[in-house]
Amino acid sequence: MIKLIFAVLLSWLLGASIYAATPREIIAKALLIEDSEEQAKLVTSLGDSDPQEVIALLTLWKEGGIFLNVDAAGAKVPVTLDEEKDGEGKQLAHRFDTGAAVGKLLASDLNAAETDSALRLAMKSVLDMAQLSSPDAKKRQEAVETMGSEQDPERLPALLARQTRETDSRVKRAIREAIALIQLKDENDAVKIAACNELGAIRSIPSQDALKAIVAEATAESKTNLANAAQLALNEIAKHVTFVNTAGTAFRGLSLGSILLVVAIGLAITFGLMGVINMAHGEMIAIGAYTTYVVQCVFGPGLELSPFGIHIALPGMNATGTLYNCYFVLALPLSFLTAALAGIALERGIIRFLYRRPLESLLATWGVSLVLQQLFRLTFGANNVQVSSPSWLSGNWTVNDVLFGWNRVFVIVFAVAIVFGVTMLLKKTPLGLLIRAVMQNRQMAACMGVRTERVNMLTFALGSGLAGLAGAFISQIGNVGPSLGQLYIVDCFMTVVVGGVGNLIGTVISALGIGMLDQSLQQILGNPVLGKILVLLGIILFLQWKPAGLFVTKSRSLEN
Amino acid sequence: MSRKQFIISAEGVNKSFDGFQAIRELTFYMDVGELRTVIGPNGAGKTTFLDLITGRTKPDEGKIDFMDAHDLTRMSEYEIYRLGIGRKFQTPTVYTDHTVHENLVLSLEGSRGVFRSLFSRLNSTERDRIEDILKTINLSAHSQRKAGALAHGQKQWLEIGMLLAQNARLLLVDEPAAGMTDEETAKTGDLLLSLAGDKHSILVIEHDMTFVRQISQGRKVTVLHQGHVLCEGPVDEVQNDERVLEVYLGRKARAA
Amino acid sequence: MKSNRNKIELIIVAIAAVILIVLLPALNAAGVVSNFTMSVWGKYLCYAILAISVDLLWGYTGLLSLGQSLFFALGGYMMGMHLMRMIGDLGQYKKPIPDFLVFLGWEQLPAFWVPFSSLVFSMLMVIALPAIVATGFGYLAFRSRIKGVYFSILTQALTYGAALMFFRNDMLLGGNNGFTDFKFLLGADVRAAGTQRGLFIATAIVLIAVYGFCRWLTTTKFGLVQRAVRDSETRVLFSGYAAANYKLFVFVICAIIAGVAGALYVPQVGIINPSEMQTDKSLEIIVWVAVGGRGTLLGPVVGAVVINALKSWATRAYPDLWLLMLGGLFILVVLFMPKGIVGLPAQIRGLLKRKQTPSALATDTAAATP
Repeated sequence: MIKLIFAVLLSWLLGASIYAATPREIIAKALLIEDSEEQAKLVTSLGDSDPQEVIALLTLWKEGGIFLNVDAAGAKVPVTLDEEKDGEGKQLAHRFDTGAAVGKLLASDLNAAETDSALRLAMKSVLDMAQLSSPDAKKRQEAVETMGSEQDPERLPALLARQTRETDSRVKRAIREAIALIQLKDENDAVKIAACNELGAIRSIPSQDALKAIVAEATAESKTNLANAAQLALNEIAKHVTFVNTAGTAFRGLSLGSILLVVAIGLAITFGLMGVINMAHGEMIAIGAYTTYVVQCVFGPGLELSPFGIHIALPGMNATGTLYNCYFVLALPLSFLTAALAGIALERGIIRFLYRRPLESLLATWGVSLVLQQLFRLTFGANNVQVSSPSWLSGNWTVNDVLFGWNRVFVIVFAVAIVFGVTMLLKKTPLGLLIRAVMQNRQMAACMGVRTERVNMLTFALGSGLAGLAGAFISQIGNVGPSLGQLYIVDCFMTVVVGGVGNLIGTVISALGIGMLDQSLQQILGNPVLGKILVLLGIILFLQWKPAGLFVTKSRSLEN
Repeated sequence: MSRKQFIISAEGVNKSFDGFQAIRELTFYMDVGELRTVIGPNGAGKTTFLDLITGRTKPDEGKIDFMDAHDLTRMSEYEIYRLGIGRKFQTPTVYTDHTVHENLVLSLEGSRGVFRSLFSRLNSTERDRIEDILKTINLSAHSQRKAGALAHGQKQWLEIGMLLAQNARLLLVDEPAAGMTDEETAKTGDLLLSLAGDKHSILVIEHDMTFVRQISQGRKVTVLHQGHVLCEGPVDEVQNDERVLEVYLGRKARAA
Repeated sequence: MKSNRNKIELIIVAIAAVILIVLLPALNAAGVVSNFTMSVWGKYLCYAILAISVDLLWGYTGLLSLGQSLFFALGGYMMGMHLMRMIGDLGQYKKPIPDFLVFLGWEQLPAFWVPFSSLVFSMLMVIALPAIVATGFGYLAFRSRIKGVYFSILTQALTYGAALMFFRNDMLLGGNNGFTDFKFLLGADVRAAGTQRGLFIATAIVLIAVYGFCRWLTTTKFGLVQRAVRDSETRVLFSGYAAANYKLFVFVICAIIAGVAGALYVPQVGIINPSEMQTDKSLEIIVWVAVGGRGTLLGPVVGAVVINALKSWATRAYPDLWLLMLGGLFILVVLFMPKGIVGLPAQIRGLLKRKQTPSALATDTAAATP
């Protein structure tokens, strides 16, 4: 064992100066040597060469892809075979060292270059080392983590070697972790204790199981010092886990809250400001999502629809790459527009007759919701449609073990942008001024010459358009199907009701609050459904405490 | 030493809505059996004061006691009603989809419990009482009409009838003369005067000074201004008070 | 005029009672009316009971509850639990406990299942569970004066939450699949024509009784207060009535009626699962009431039967278009027929009259006498 480590280290230190040859040449030489110890020495000397090539060639050897051919002169020549077989099953052979073709050979006539255990061991450490030398830090980190989790003492030399050269801080930490993990398997208790301390110091979450095993083992063998050290490390890690979970929960809560906010902000306008109960709000979201789907199809292969037996074919642009990835940029405004137009139709056709009858507008819009859902089903099919999300949504950042998914970051950024946009629209534009005037005092506004009917229509269109935007957004992070809207409608109403009617800030706070509460309960209870039920219960109790905004007291006349 | 009981005593009452101070350090006493008129310009806090008494809104500060015993600020609307405080709203507020008769049945004094309501039937005394009230408010012929179909003045009368049916100890009457003919106004005044006495105390809020003169007849009148009592006294005295003149100047020419 | 209408309604109800309780079952026993017809109508009658409960809440008290499907399903589940116990060891696993419990790894019956072996206990629970849930929720909601659409939205949330709960397997109530494959009720084969006929008669009797109860309730002083709450809740407070108590009472009564309807429904259709308690179902009931005519007691019954008959036909003839029809119908009724089918004659009369003499409207309302 010690000898081997020594050999590896030595060869690594001297490797470059002794053999100034390419890996291919070295391996070609090694292939022809009979003595396996000599072979191992040569292979070990590969440690400093280009890792990619070493990995490829050694893997080929290990897996029996290199054959020894006896040429006309009786000399052994290592060859590789092309995949393609001719009629007789023969494959074209190339010399391993030069790549020159040597004619067609039958694989069954050849002997694969053999490996024995000493050689395989040498190959393994060279391969490990090669993987650890990958130029891509992510790959290096993965390799280190795998080695750590396998706790194989044979990997230790490669790791130790790499540790001195590593520059990337993440990989450095991973190597410390892996080394300590492997050292837990050491026979010497002092080494084990040091390893425990190390794992505690770097708060290694993945090592918890191994540490627990040590605690159990050490307690059984009554090695108090070791058990204590492991336990201390575990405590340290547990504290860190709590922190990571809390931070993760807060982040997930923030992103769930942002989703709620995005889907509810349209409702905060139609319901909150205008007082219209639009049960078809969810379907407005779905309209936005389907619009995104259609835009995506037009950028891609095109789309064929056949609602009511009418055949509609949309040609596709068959765009690829960046252009295709940009479809979302066009889909956003289109989703807004389509939903806004649908909103105008809904307001002109139905809701304007029911401004004074909120319960009835609830019922009529529910009818609309049913009709729209069925129309989606007939047009786009009863199943979910595929909206591919851009590749840039699938990555994540890890900071101090806390995972920040890019899709969640996107959610939060989107929510901030929408809230900002809506606030600006309401506060800084003439339309916003009109909307606020009409919502505060319809009659007064009418007397001042504001065409309130028109403002109603535009306000409703704005609310619906925002729902459409939310749909475009949902299509990137969830499923798009005919009953998409039903998933969100209860949450939307809850958010607006809790936030207090007629108050955008209230909606923002309530969305974030509900999101946080939901995720925290989920974290504590470990069960999403139970968490959701408790949130609903919590909302009912909350309204006991603060029914404000739910009923407004006005004097002089009893009912308004 | 015994003093006369106050039917209403309000002390140090404050109430603001969104920063607007509707009632400011209001202190107000009214004796049992009194007929008091409260006048004041728009926004003086007259209706808010009634809202505070009837539990419709709660004061930010101060206390309002009924019969020196019940703290009204801690009670809900229907509990206050059950103490014997009835209110007629400024805009007539009757049950529009119920008949005139049913409106009176709903207002008739007696149990308000859920289970009693399931099995209660009008007895002959109660039926007679409703007949009497219908006569008083001149709606006998309309007893089976829906209240919503009545003319504005008739609705006012019906609401007064509902107060009568309740047999309240304290009647709060918010602008009873609004929308009535002169003749009806005079009749309303007579009715209120006939009711005032040990059994009923009456607090009237009014704009119409002719009406105020008719019912006050030398009794105390309270002038509210900016949520505060400006002055109290007989109507002639109040009308010549400088502060009152200043407040009303140019606003209510016919008051002078 | 109004008393005439009452008389006509009474005659209609009496005739319907005779047909439903005596004639149809007799014809079924004689083989004239098919078992299929009976089972379809049995279902309609359960729906009619449910519709009355919604109307008592909405049409008479102004409380648009989206939670009635929850109470219906709760009643159904209580009955379903008894029926599951009555399967005995005849399930697929041949164990003395319901199949899905065996599937979840239970060896013994969970404690809360034990008393459901008794029909009397189960029937008590059919009433008690909806009543308890309604009392708890109603107390909180009415105490904080949640009304109008807010009440609707909250009941929707309640129902949504409950459905989420019942979908879970660890509620030990069958999860997604709920209860089915019932075998016996009172020792008789629950699917036998005779048993189904008995259930039909029971449903018809309950329907007539519920109708009668509501008819009586609306004529009492309670009925006056109830309608007053609907029209002007704040005024009711200023007439000394604790409106919250009245609303709570109606809410609980209606929850019980819905629960009973659910309990009658389950043995007749042979299945109960959480999809019955989704808010869509609640809204569907509201469609029946709106179409039939709210604020009347005959309206919901008519609506429940008409819409469901239409549904049975349309889902077979035009399965794709049924939801379009339902939604469209609902929009039209809300916009153009606020009084529903029952109110249609009066609405047409009113329209004609207004065309002839615009001033006749006042005298029309004045002429109404009880």
